[in-house]
Amino acid sequence: MKRTSTARVTAVAAAALLGIAGLAGCSSGSSTTGSSDQGQSAGSVSASNSSSENSSGGTIKIGFFSPQSGSEASDGKSALDAAQLAVKDINAAGGLDGKKIQLVQYDDGSDPKQAVSIATKLTTQDNVAAVVSGSYSDQTLAAASIFQRAGVPMLAAYAVNPGIPGTGDEIFQIATSGPVEGKAGAQALIKDLGAKKIAIISIDNDFGTALVQGFTEQAAKLGATIVSTNKNQFGEKDFGPVIDKAVAAGADGFYMVEYAAEGQQFLTAFRQRNLTQKIVGTEGIDSTQQFIEPNGKLADGMVFTTVLNRDSTDPTTQAFIKDFTSAYGHAPDMVGATTYDSFKVLQAASKNGTTADNLKAGITDLANFQGVTGTVEKFVNRISVHPVELQVFKDGAVHHYGTVDDPDIINP
Amino acid sequence: MFPALVDGVTVGALYALLALGPSLVYGLLRVLDVANAAALVLGAYLGVTLFRHGLPWWLGALGGMAGAAILGLLLQRFLYRPLLDRGPLVVLVASIGIFIALEEAFRLIWGPYPYQFPVNVPLPHGTIAGTPVTGVQVLMLVIGVVILLGSWWVLGHTRLGFTWRATAQDRETARAMGINVNRVIAGIFATGYALAALAGVLFAIRYNTVTPDMGDVPAYKMLAIIVLGGLGNPMGTILAAFVIGLAESVVNTYWGFILPRDTIAFLVLIAILLIRPAGLLPKGVTRA
Repeated sequence: MKRTSTARVTAVAAAALLGIAGLAGCSSGSSTTGSSDQGQSAGSVSASNSSSENSSGGTIKIGFFSPQSGSEASDGKSALDAAQLAVKDINAAGGLDGKKIQLVQYDDGSDPKQAVSIATKLTTQDNVAAVVSGSYSDQTLAAASIFQRAGVPMLAAYAVNPGIPGTGDEIFQIATSGPVEGKAGAQALIKDLGAKKIAIISIDNDFGTALVQGFTEQAAKLGATIVSTNKNQFGEKDFGPVIDKAVAAGADGFYMVEYAAEGQQFLTAFRQRNLTQKIVGTEGIDSTQQFIEPNGKLADGMVFTTVLNRDSTDPTTQAFIKDFTSAYGHAPDMVGATTYDSFKVLQAASKNGTTADNLKAGITDLANFQGVTGTVEKFVNRISVHPVELQVFKDGAVHHYGTVDDPDIINP
Repeated sequence: MFPALVDGVTVGALYALLALGPSLVYGLLRVLDVANAAALVLGAYLGVTLFRHGLPWWLGALGGMAGAAILGLLLQRFLYRPLLDRGPLVVLVASIGIFIALEEAFRLIWGPYPYQFPVNVPLPHGTIAGTPVTGVQVLMLVIGVVILLGSWWVLGHTRLGFTWRATAQDRETARAMGINVNRVIAGIFATGYALAALAGVLFAIRYNTVTPDMGDVPAYKMLAIIVLGGLGNPMGTILAAFVIGLAESVVNTYWGFILPRDTIAFLVLIAILLIRPAGLLPKGVTRA
């Protein structure tokens, strides 16, 4: 009996251990050591000559971290691909204030603890001049305070947690702020698509919380009613019951704040029920290989908020889409576009020099920067201000649907 | 109530397929094999890969089961057998380690992006009481019944079941009585991993997705089910799988996402263990 009890305690402890790992994995997944695009084990340095100084000898070290393993590795790959393309393009154009970029990149393993180690290494051993985070909010937020203390500017490419730029004056956010994107979603669903009774289905993390907060505020202003709000964990598969309850409550529109995997399951359940309610999604599903290509037809007619306009006539955007597709065999997505723009912002910010102070001042003073995600008007409280793009699924592909550029909405 | 029943029983069937192998292994060796969940992922990947190369889904499933059975044989021979004398905690930690390593290996082999597994299982399907019931759900229901009856029959009424029970009761005595204990252990690992692989294929078809981390949640839910069923009691494990599946579905259906599915599973585990500390079917590990 004692043996059985001990075994039972062991089993429960093991389950708890795995459960904790799984919960962490909701936004982190399993951790690994750094990976390399050049076969090194801990990190990699790409482009031009090696240098121990961060901005001497004609080179400048820029740090980069992204999840190349763990549950977020697919977005991490997109981010790293874009980072390498950006470095190639910037170096071909003369670099940052004449200095070629050395990209010092690490795999954060979808793990905030790993991100902290990487931030420490980037600031104390690699001595980078600036850093781009190609990672999720958890890792970015965990690393941000290290960069802040070290006086190294960091740009968060696609992490939307509003607390990230709040870390300090070294930390900037290129991505649309979560509440701003939420407000734009409300504008699209209520004003453009005419929904009045909204059901919210959202992933239960900082991304979902930030967007739902903005959406709810704007929905109230527009006079719509929220009939239900359901928050699910990563990996949720069965959205049928909550859809049924929302429909029974009279919902004529759904605001879906999900990532690719959960978004696919939501839409599958929605289509199985032959419903006609309007759906607005978010940039969480703006992933070429995880969602757009495999689920394009499933999502037909759905509008979502993002930053990349595939139909843009701007030559910068079209050149990026063409070059990325040519280099990697598939079209870029929001993650890739914002990562690319983060490096281009550093390039634009380096006009007066490449010291950390120069770069920070350059980013702070940036105005009307034309990136592949459109025009960044300025940074307010270190958050980029730019219109929110609305894309729509049509015939298995995504196209321009509209733009939300109301200053009352897009100013964080 | 009907939607919750359908969903609960189909999910319960998947849990039963996954947890049956580790439950049998526990009965034999008194160790918990978390890496069994990696067989679910491997089965799904092999199944979808064969399917994408033009084979029918059921052949893909068989291929996945065969590949997973080989994995099980290799792990028991080269990982677990050498560690058995080091105690159950060493084996448990090793199995968690190998599970994580295998997940990353799958990510390296098949890439980080999800694969779709678009199969229409040619079984009767439609809408019952307003709830869509797909062919694969019908298949899962059938498999659930087959597992329940099959396990009861094999373990209780066949020579195979007898050797398992004898080995579980006393390995040394079983060996002395002429039972090839190593072969029994190998057979149980192969069977358990193959069943997990079948769960993986059904899971992948049901939700039309295969990802490297699809085994994460099943890995620890499997442990809850084994404990709830009464450690090492395969029939208890199957019963617990359906109890957990139904509890999750009923809560989701009536209260939405008021609690994460995993939290529901562990609350059920705690509640039942408070009432029945030895699990649902506690009468010894040798009872089938």
